[in-house]
Amino acid sequence: MLPTPIVPNPDYNLVYEPAEDSFLFLDLFEQLHNEEYFTKTTPSKKFSTVLEIGTGTGIISTFISTNKLIPNAYHIASDINLNALQTTKNTFENTRTTKDAYLDTIRCNLTDPFRLNEIDVLIFNPPYVPSESIPLVPSIQDDTNDDWLDLALVGGTDGMMITNKVLDSLDSTLSVNGEAYILFCARNNHSKVVTEFLKSHINFKVENVIARKCGWEELAIYRFIRQ
Amino acid sequence: MKFLTTNFVKCAVKSCDGSEGSFPLKYENCQLQLEEQDFNPEFIVSMLERLDWNAIIQVASDLGNNLLPSQKPEDIDGNSEMLKDLHSLLIETQIIDGEMVCRNCKHVYYIKNSIASFLLPPHLAK
Repeated sequence: MLPTPIVPNPDYNLVYEPAEDSFLFLDLFEQLHNEEYFTKTTPSKKFSTVLEIGTGTGIISTFISTNKLIPNAYHIASDINLNALQTTKNTFENTRTTKDAYLDTIRCNLTDPFRLNEIDVLIFNPPYVPSESIPLVPSIQDDTNDDWLDLALVGGTDGMMITNKVLDSLDSTLSVNGEAYILFCARNNHSKVVTEFLKSHINFKVENVIARKCGWEELAIYRFIRQ
Repeated sequence: MKFLTTNFVKCAVKSCDGSEGSFPLKYENCQLQLEEQDFNPEFIVSMLERLDWNAIIQVASDLGNNLLPSQKPEDIDGNSEMLKDLHSLLIETQIIDGEMVCRNCKHVYYIKNSIASFLLPPHLAK
């Protein structure tokens, strides 16, 4: 079993604290690694660019990159919250034992600045908690405002307002054969979301790759493959 | 921001999508730092295949390096000197401070403490 990255000196008033949803991603990627998914199952595909949006403490990107779970990949971790990116750098530097895993961090909203169809693997642990509305983005001059944390949690109607934006642009984000790994909770009505998605995206294949009941929460990660 | 990342980012303004000037961005007043990283030739060979070489040349030139070959190097598996040069440029070169300008809409993005920010002011965000 691969070790979980340690986040040095985190301030969980400003950055999302890793929880069951984060750990589900770690378990999934360890499982895919054990199945040799990124090496043997898909010999014709190359996974060179891996983007995680909303990286938070960076434990998911750090886990995948420092353990080299996707061979020869270039990792980019992004977040809207500057505190998250500084924490991610610390997590990565604190965890890696060699300097041959490459990770860069950039501040942006979702996939806004990425060139179209250049991402081979997209990873998104979204703000999925249903809420009446989504909070406004605080002033970018005010990095110590704890409103930044709310953006990491709540997802508006059905908890899907942010995930829907990513799904709507998935066809232009992913490269040919690219894959996205996106987490849902039961209250997101994910089977309905996936059915609707497939109606308007006939070039995609979607499969549930891992699911877990965590107390009152039921979490599932889906793989979206662009074909 | 690593040099390699400049090959994957464009102007974040929606109306610039597809416009020629939105990629690569123009890099101005940049401060660079070389951060030592372990050399992985396999990584460079596999990454090189998919890079937009013209953009690499353009950004390198913005940063004061005009020494790159005009054509993307081919069959470089055995050319360890070229591989090491590319490693140093793509992976070890950090832009720690500077500006990125969209040639289309002229919006200026900033890099501070090695982190590039593509957050848009409310009137430009969709």
